[in-house]
This record gives sequence, C-alpha cells and structure tokens, in this order.
Amino acid sequence: MSSQKKRTFQIEAFKHRVVVDPKYAEKTWKVLEHAIHEIYNHNASGLSFEELYRNAYNMVLHKFGEKLYSGLVTTMTSHLKEISQSIESAQGEIFLEELNRKWIDHNKALQMIRDILMYMDRTFIPSSHKTPVHELGLNLWRDVVIHSSKTQARLRDTLLELVLRERNGEVINRGLMRNIIKMLMDLGLSVYQEDFEKHFLSVSANFYCLESQKFIETCDCGDYLKKAERRLNEEIERVSHYLDPRSEIKITNVVEKEMIDSHMHTLVHMENSGLVNMLVDDKYEDLGRMYSLFRRVPTGLTVVKDVMTAFVRDTGKQLVMDPERLRDPVDFVQRLLDLKDKYDKIINMSFTNDKTFQNALNSSFEHFINLNARSPEFISLFVDDKLRRGLKGVGEEDVEIVLDKVMMLFRYLQEKDVFEKYYKQHLAKRLLSGKTISDDAERSLIVKLKTECGYQFTSKLEGMFTDMKTSYDTMQGFYASQSDVGDSPSLVVHVLTTGSWPTQPSPQCNLPSELLGVCEKFRAYYLGTHNGRRLSWQTNMGTADLKATFGKGQKHELNVSTYQMCVLMLFNNADRLTCKEIEQATGIPLLDLKRCLQSLACVKGKNVLRKEPMSKDIAEDDTFFFNDKFTSKFFKVKIGTVVAQRESEPENLETRQRVEEDRKPQIEAAIVRIMKSRRTLDHNNIVAEVTKQLQSRFLPNPVVIKKRIESLIEREFLERDRVDRKLYRYLA
Amino acid sequence: MPRPKRKAAVPTRSSDADSSARPEPKKPRGNQFNRIDQLFESYVNKTLGLIDPEGIEALCNDVNVNHTDVRMLIFAWKMKAEKQGYFSKDEWRRGLKCLGADTRPKLKKAIEGLDKELKVPECFEDFYSYAFQYCLTEEKQRSVDIETICELLNIVLKSEFPNQVNLLVEYLKVQNDYRALNMDQWRSFYRFFKEVDFHDLENYDSSQAWTVIIDNFVEWLKEKEKN
Repeated sequence: MSSQKKRTFQIEAFKHRVVVDPKYAEKTWKVLEHAIHEIYNHNASGLSFEELYRNAYNMVLHKFGEKLYSGLVTTMTSHLKEISQSIESAQGEIFLEELNRKWIDHNKALQMIRDILMYMDRTFIPSSHKTPVHELGLNLWRDVVIHSSKTQARLRDTLLELVLRERNGEVINRGLMRNIIKMLMDLGLSVYQEDFEKHFLSVSANFYCLESQKFIETCDCGDYLKKAERRLNEEIERVSHYLDPRSEIKITNVVEKEMIDSHMHTLVHMENSGLVNMLVDDKYEDLGRMYSLFRRVPTGLTVVKDVMTAFVRDTGKQLVMDPERLRDPVDFVQRLLDLKDKYDKIINMSFTNDKTFQNALNSSFEHFINLNARSPEFISLFVDDKLRRGLKGVGEEDVEIVLDKVMMLFRYLQEKDVFEKYYKQHLAKRLLSGKTISDDAERSLIVKLKTECGYQFTSKLEGMFTDMKTSYDTMQGFYASQSDVGDSPSLVVHVLTTGSWPTQPSPQCNLPSELLGVCEKFRAYYLGTHNGRRLSWQTNMGTADLKATFGKGQKHELNVSTYQMCVLMLFNNADRLTCKEIEQATGIPLLDLKRCLQSLACVKGKNVLRKEPMSKDIAEDDTFFFNDKFTSKFFKVKIGTVVAQRESEPENLETRQRVEEDRKPQIEAAIVRIMKSRRTLDHNNIVAEVTKQLQSRFLPNPVVIKKRIESLIEREFLERDRVDRKLYRYLA
Repeated sequence: MPRPKRKAAVPTRSSDADSSARPEPKKPRGNQFNRIDQLFESYVNKTLGLIDPEGIEALCNDVNVNHTDVRMLIFAWKMKAEKQGYFSKDEWRRGLKCLGADTRPKLKKAIEGLDKELKVPECFEDFYSYAFQYCLTEEKQRSVDIETICELLNIVLKSEFPNQVNLLVEYLKVQNDYRALNMDQWRSFYRFFKEVDFHDLENYDSSQAWTVIIDNFVEWLKEKEKN
C-alpha cells in the first residue's frame, strides 16, 4: 500500500434539512389560540400540556416569539371584552359576585396560560422588554374589565354603598368584599388607592362629619365618647377583615379628625357632662376613654391637661382662701391631702399615670398652696395633731404613708423656713408635755426632712430629742443621789440646750416656797456634775399636777402650767387676792398673768377660781377667790394650755417678723458666697443666683436682696463699680 | 552794665513758734509760698496750728462769701480738707497753690469764681462725692443724717437741678425708712438726676440696680402725680 496520510476525522454537524413550513408559525399559533379559547371556556381538561408547551417553545425557538406574544394579547383582550360585557350586564347584587367569579376564572386561566408560555416568559420577553405574561394578564384585566367606563364607577359605588350599609348596622358579605378588595390590590397599589381607597376616605370623612354633628347635638360628653370609640373600633375591625392593612391608619385618622379633633373644645367644655364634671364625679371610665381618644389627635391631651390644671388650681385656690376653712388647720390640710389623693387616683386610673399630667398636678398644687401664707403653719399643726393623737393605734406602715403624704405637701411649700420654725415650736411642746404617741414616728419624720433638706434643717431638732433622753438619765441620777426624799414634791426636770429649742427667754417667776428646796437640790446636783454651765428655770414652759380639795371635800387632781400653779398655791395662804397682788407675789409678766387667770376663772368646767366681777376681761383690781363650789365629772382636770394651737393674728405677725429677720443674714451669706467666687457680678445675676441658692428654704424678695447688697456696700464688703452702676465687686 | 542776676532770695523761714505746730520739712521756697504761709498765719488758731471755724468765719468776711455758700465747699474740696471746719497748713497750701492765689485780693477773686470750677463732669462728680465725705465727722462714721443731706443737696445740686432737688428734699423729709444715708445712696442721687427724666417715670425700671431709696422715691413721685 502506498503511504496514506493521516486524515483528521471531522464529524460534521447533522445538517438536517428542516423544512420550514411557511405556514408553520400560523399553524402552531392556531393550536395555541384554540387552547386559550378552551381554557377560557373551562375546557382545559382535554388539552395536552406537554404538546402546547412544545408548540410555544418551538415558536419562540424559531423566532416567532413576537407573533406568539401579540397573538396572546389579542386573544386575551377579546376574551376579556366578553367577560367585561357580561359583568356590565349583571343586575344589582349579582354584579359583585359575577365580577368575583370571573376574576377567579381569569386567574386560573392566566396561570395555565403562563405555564404553557413559560419558555417565552423566560427568554423572549426579557430580551424584548415586554411585560411578562402574568403581569400582562393583570394589566389587561384592569384596563379592559375594571376600567371599562361602565364598570369603574359602578364598582366603586357598589363597594362604598356596602360600607355605608354596614356602618348603618346591616350585615354584608365580608368575604366577597375581601376578595374584591384583594383583586384591586393584586392589580397594583395605585389601583386600590385610586379606584377605591381615595373615595372610601373622602366618603367616610363626610359620613363622620355629619354623624359627629348629630351626636354632638344629642349626646352628652360621655355618650359621645362611647360612640366615637365604637366607631373607631369598627373601622379598625373593618380594615382587618377586608381592607388593606395600610388603610387602617388613614381611616382612623379620618375618624379622629372628624369625631374628636373637630369637636374637642365642645366636648371638654360641655355643660353638665364635660371634663370638669367628669373630674368632680370621679368618672374613671369616661375619663379613661377621653384620654385614650384625645391622645390620638395632636394637642388633644394638651387641651385636657390645661382644662384639668385650671380647674385644680381654681379648686385649690378656693380651698386655701376660704375663711371658713382657715379656722381648722387640721381639716384644712386634710382637705388638701384628699384633693391630691383624688387627682392622683384619676391620673392613675384614667390617664395611665401620664407624667405630664402628674407634673401639671404638682405645679398646680405648688401654685395654690403658696397663695396662703399660713400653709406652713397649718401643715405643721396637722403633723402635730397626727403625732399627738391622730395616729394612735395605727400600724407602722400606715404611719409611714401619712408621713410621706405630709412630706409631699412640704415639698410644695415655698417658705420651708417658716415651716421649720413652727415645726420646732410644736415639736417642743409635744416633747415637753410627753404627748407624742410614737417616738419612732417622730424620728421617722425627722429622717425624711433630713433627706429632703439636708443636715442643717434637722440638726437642732435632733438636739431636742437628745436633750429629752439626757434629761431622763439626769433625773435617774438625781433621784438615786437623793437619800432623803421626804415630803417634797416630786420634780421632773427637762434640761434644754439653749439654741436647739425655740424658747422665748422670759424672767423667772417666783416659785412657791414648797418647791424651792427641791429645785435648789437639783440645781446643785446638776452643776455638780456639769462644770461651767448655767441653768435658768423656764417658768413659762413647765407643767404641774396639784392635789386640790374643794368645799364639800371633793378631791381632784389638777394638771396646770407652772404659772397657774404659782397662782393657785397662793390661795393656800389667802382667801382673796386681787390681780395686782397676784402679779406682785408671783412676778409673772402681766399679759401672761391675765391669760393665766382667765383660764383659771373664766372657763366653764375649769373654773377653780372665782372672779369678781364676773366679766371675761381681767382688770388690775379684779378679785379672785378659791372656788369652793367647783365640780367636775373627772378626777383629773386638765387646765394647762400647752397644746399647740393655731396662732392668733398678732402672734402670727410676730413670727413672720422673726422669720424675715432670720432671712436677712441668710441672704447676706449667700451674696457674700457668690461674690467671693465670682469677684464681679451685675445686679440681675446676683439676684438670680441668690434666689437659686436659697430656693430650698424660701423665695427671697428682690427688694430685700437689694437692701442687703446696699448694707454690704456700706460695710465695705462690696463696692459698686464707678462706671457701670449695675456692677458689683467683691472687696477682699 | 548788666544787672547782676537777682537770685531768688532764700527766705529765712521763721518756723512756727506754736508749740503744737506740725513739723515742716524745710525746703527752699519762693516768695509765693511765703505769702501763702503768711495768709495762713493771718487766720490760724495759734494753739491748734490749724485754721478753726472762727478763722474760717474771718476768711469768709474777707472774701465776702457766706460760709454756707457752695464756693466755700468747693474751696475745701480744692484743699482736700479732711476735717470739716478746720484747715491745716498743708491743705491751705494745696488749695491756694491750686487757685494760684497768694494775696488776699487774689484769693478773694479766686473764691468768688469757684463755682465755674465745676463745669467739667468728672470734676463735679469728684466734688459731689467729696461733699458727702466732708460731712463724716466721726471716725468710722459711714452715714450722714437726713437733715444734713437735705442741706447738702440744696447747696450742691440745686443750681443744676432745682425742681428735682426740691422734690427729693420733700420726699426725704416725709419718708421714715431711713434716718441717715450712706455714700452709695448719696452718689445714686446725682446719677438719678442725670439719667432719669422726671416726666417719663413710666420707663423707670425698679429691677435695675438703683438704690432702694431711689425706688421708693420714684413710687412716691408717681403717687404724687396721680393726686
């Protein structure tokens, strides 16, 4: 064999001469067209999915996608036109049902068609930027069926009418509504909004506008709110059942605006049933409803809060300025506490403990409590009453609750230093007369005051307690050291540290001779154990128990003040004495003596002395006799006046003056402190700083501050700038 | 022939023979000083070494000016006299040198024209404060009684603010918040007259740093105007 060249094998492509039947495309299309018809005619069962798919596939493959697509469009459109007509001709109730049925059918058909044409959907359509089959089907439905001139408006009106009927109490086919609405949503959000939601909202606005107008004229506030709440809930429920969730906020806004916002002020101020009436009558449910409804509109809660604040201020103001109320301080304070409790409860039960309301309430209280300058005194008297007898037998926890409430009122006071003054006085009386029901309660309150105001506020008060304890120990020691007690009266001494106690220095009166012995013994004992101290008897503050025997032998034990004791003991040695004689013998200051004699001779049931003439006033030559005929049901008769009482006007004035005097050095100290650190400062800033520094104790008067500055200038602590007279300079 | 230059004669200073005279630093002085000292001697109280009220009275006669005249006060201010009613030698020297007067006629003329010294505002303020200071006679005294204040106001401010001074004096006599006033309050009067228009009291702001007495005065003025 001759040399054979190696030949590379080439396998040639199978050139199968495909006879492209010119009618191929047309024939294939016809098959598919027929299939579409059958599908729409509910005859799909006879079709072969595989064959149809292959046909569609081939068309696209052989570049007949365009024809396929346009054929699809045409065919589907013509079917939809038929469907549209049948829907349009549906009568009455059937309209929606027909629409719904046809829609379901169309969706089924569309799905099948899409499955068949899937290859086209995936290849031809993207590359030619045409609308995919499913979407195409929806668009055609929208354009041909829904937006047909007859159907568009009718659909809208039908839906709205159903909503109206439901609002009027009828039961409607919610399932059908849901399906139709879902159809609109499937067609696109803009379809839902433009074809339905927009109109739904505006029609609803009208509806509620009219309805609210009607209700306002016929209902009282509470009923109106109930109705509004019901409507609101209805709408929310409606949305959840057959509308798009995004509509909820829109429809609730409509209801809120029409039913609440437009009528806010009318509702709040409605006569006999408005907010104020609800507050007065503790209508917790109605108030809660108002709160939750008004919360939904802008400025709603502000309106409620403002009306409530104004009313509370007014009520409080009337309370504190009422002259009747001012006679009984304990009652006065109790009413304040009751008022606070009432509104606390309202805010708690109806206003979800809203902080802005709490703050508004607090500022109202702060406002009117300080309208009455005697509030600090009264609060102290209230505490006094509680600690003296009111809290007797009350459990520890409840005592704490009462004290905490007192502290709350205390915080509202602007003039805390005035309270301190009275509290000290009242506490002193309680301690000295031994009339406090619970030491623990007293101490608990002191601790609370200390936490609130700092150590300085309470250091003296604590000193008072210490003195009481120390005095007790001293007495123990004293009696232990006395071997021979004998017949001398038993003495109990409280030694008070000057400066801690609110004592008014007053000259010692002449004690009866029976007492002098034991008093001296005590003095000697005390000074013996405490070097370098000075003792002075405070005869204006003590008490005494006297055993008295009257005319028919009736015995009584009289509990009296020291002054009263001095006066009565004189009658052991004299039958009759004039006021002047008593004054000379006892050395009691005249004003105190007169009060003392009045309490012994002019008070029914306590008149152990008889007075001539019988008038209530005491003149110098009035004569006094021991009242033989005195009787009393009780063995122990209390005549002493040691109980804390509300001050008389002149006393009140005096206390005020003392407080003002006390404030001056505090203001000066503040000014000096501020100027020392700032060196130079202008007038307005000093006033502001001083006020800020002192606000925990009292509110300083700007004129008083100015006077103190001038005084400091005169004493050369400060100087005024030569050029700028508003500027002050600290002089080191 | 050239005149020999006449040197300034060095006066043999006759030191003050008074026992309580204040020691003087011996410096060479010109004739002017000599004459000033001589003038001083003509009024001095020999035992005190100071010109006392009597001496001042004599001076007033010589210059024909009343001792309550504002010009005497200005004179004292020029001298920076410390003690009311008395002039020391240093103060005398200071004053007369300031006035450029070394003879009695020159002094008379100078004192007569003293009220013109106050035209400059800074000078007036200094003088105004001095006037108050001059009334503090006791050591550690800080305030001057109302009577004296009223007189002082009349002397010092009346020419410039006649209406205002009358009203203020009326008020001071009527009020009983203060029985004496201090320098700060005194100074505030002049400032008040300068800065506040009595016809426009509505704009007065009492929260500003005016003294309390001025605040009260304005209140009183407003009340007066209403009635």
